[in-house]
Amino acid sequence: MFEIGLLIFIETLFFVLVYLFIILEKTYSILGILGGIILLSILINKVNRLHSFLSECFSKYKTIAILYGIIFILALPILLWEYPYQIFILFNAGLFAILALGLNWQIGSTNIVNFATGASFATGAYTSALLSIHLGLSFWILLPIGGMAAAGIGFILGLPCMKAKTYYLSLVTIAFTLIVYLLLNNLRWTGGPDGIADIPFPKIVNHSFGSPIRLFGLEIPFQANFYYLAIFLVALTFFVDKRLRYSRIGLAWNAIRNDEVAAECQGINVTYSKVMSFSLNFFFDGVAGTLFAFCMSHISPESFTFNVSVTVITIVIVGGMDNAVGILFGALLMTLIPEKFQVFQNYRMLIFGFIILIMLRLRPKGLFPQTVRKYD
Amino acid sequence: MDPPLKGNRDMTQFIEQIMFALMLSSTYALIAVGITLFFGAINIVHFSHGDVAMLGAFLGIIFYGLFGFMGLWENIPLWLMTMVIFLLVFIVIGFLGTFFERTVIKPFRKSPLLMVLVATIALGIVIRESVRLFYPQGSNPQVFPKILPQVNFEVGHLILRFDHFIILIISFLLIFFMFLFINKTKTGLAIRAISQDIEAANLMGINSDIIIAITFLIGSMLAGLAGILIGSYQTIVRFDIGLMGGIKGFSAAVVGGLGNFYGAIVGSLILGFIESLTSAYIPGGAPYKDVFAFIIVIFFLVFKPSGILGRRAPIKI
Repeated sequence: MFEIGLLIFIETLFFVLVYLFIILEKTYSILGILGGIILLSILINKVNRLHSFLSECFSKYKTIAILYGIIFILALPILLWEYPYQIFILFNAGLFAILALGLNWQIGSTNIVNFATGASFATGAYTSALLSIHLGLSFWILLPIGGMAAAGIGFILGLPCMKAKTYYLSLVTIAFTLIVYLLLNNLRWTGGPDGIADIPFPKIVNHSFGSPIRLFGLEIPFQANFYYLAIFLVALTFFVDKRLRYSRIGLAWNAIRNDEVAAECQGINVTYSKVMSFSLNFFFDGVAGTLFAFCMSHISPESFTFNVSVTVITIVIVGGMDNAVGILFGALLMTLIPEKFQVFQNYRMLIFGFIILIMLRLRPKGLFPQTVRKYD
Repeated sequence: MDPPLKGNRDMTQFIEQIMFALMLSSTYALIAVGITLFFGAINIVHFSHGDVAMLGAFLGIIFYGLFGFMGLWENIPLWLMTMVIFLLVFIVIGFLGTFFERTVIKPFRKSPLLMVLVATIALGIVIRESVRLFYPQGSNPQVFPKILPQVNFEVGHLILRFDHFIILIISFLLIFFMFLFINKTKTGLAIRAISQDIEAANLMGINSDIIIAITFLIGSMLAGLAGILIGSYQTIVRFDIGLMGGIKGFSAAVVGGLGNFYGAIVGSLILGFIESLTSAYIPGGAPYKDVFAFIIVIFFLVFKPSGILGRRAPIKI
């Protein structure tokens, strides 16, 4: 019982720190909280007895720990009912988590550096936005449609690229992102630089996502609707990632990463696996794009630049190649921290660039490197 | 005087377009040659080479303003100051490029390709954002000073711009000297040796580390000068011309065959001509000229990834 208590105590400590980090405004308090979180992590890592003790507790009572975490995540908007913008930031973190988990399949698992996240994100967003405005389709149908449109683009992009090797492939993805941005900016039916406006809010059983949730007498801001949807989709993507990792496809991807020629000799259809990674990644990017379009209700090409691709790549590198949990942390970090340190908003890309360089030098596998595969 | 026949007018316009295309190609060539050289030497693609060129352009602006501040423009003839600016940018950017190589590329020499690739892209981001943030009004387009003579000279009905001509000549000379350097000097021989087999070159007593640094020195010098030349004819530079420029340079190198010196030139010609001709002769095509260029690149990558002049290299087991 004592172990459960200790576990819950440490988790609560973390949650409180994270919650405070989210709501506090003053730079010093934020820095203090951040320092506190880092100290706690270092403490747990370095003090070996504590570390092993906690690992034991965690593996014994895994269900309880995870359940507690889930309760916290679900309850977060209720706790943040006075802070709509913070809920929106968490929603953003969710979006980036989906994007990064998808990209992880390409970078972490198959070693394809794909810079076209901006383009696939845009495809999903614009497809669903245009279909919604011109054909009036409902959001729930558009979610998979947006995903499939992006997956189609991924398939088309992936097929010819299979002959190309690493550099050429990355060049094509960069060029593709730039082309898509150019096209979106110039074509009339995509709205040009003004983009598409007035995308309606989704509805579920008469509850529009634009209206706040009334619960326990509190009025939780409408961003919470999108937050819950995002969390659901993140969980879905996470689940898919887990299934993929232990499937033939996931093994094939890792085999290709380790040695492509050997993988082909083993009978793995390299082309098929690579194109699958493209399509799957793009599918989830498209879904995220649709979600994005319907939350913002107005999209313009400026949200789909090369910088988006760079941000997602930073998340994958920092969070951990081929480690889903690490990527979730990375997404949270990369979204929360720039938002809290508003003074650094302008320097965001510069800092990301430096972070990539430093991470590549010091911890190339990411903060949470890939865990060894379990064969059971 | 009779108005020129319509055929004549189209003809003169066509020749002027050709001149422009040649000049565009030559500026791309300066960057592409560097990229192909780097790839040949150490098998990496320097994605931020275009940003090095951008630095050259901005440095040119800085020097121009500095000299103006020092009151040098009144006393010394324009052409001398221009040459001084060229020389200064040449040297400074050369060493800056080598500095980048030492700090960002060298540590990853033994690492998987993935990391070098992302590292060079991150370097590009750092360079771009630094200029955007730390150069006064960095996010706005900057006017590039007119340091080349702005005369036109006429050949019959043709009006050719003298500064385009100078750019063409300078690029041609630079590339020619580079060619001589690589093929006729001992250091050039060392560079070629390293491209073929770096371990064998080391065994032969070539200090590959220094030679690589020299390679980057030359490549970056050319890129810096390319920046100034591009600034001269476009007259407006922005902090992000390096991204597009680098990609186009890389595309040119790939189309011609990565690692092949002549290939870089051929690729630049193809890319330059496609870009300028589509922008001039396809109605409403100007904003899409990059799209056309990239489509050609993708076409090459799919059907002939070794480029026009490259050899198909077997995958090393």
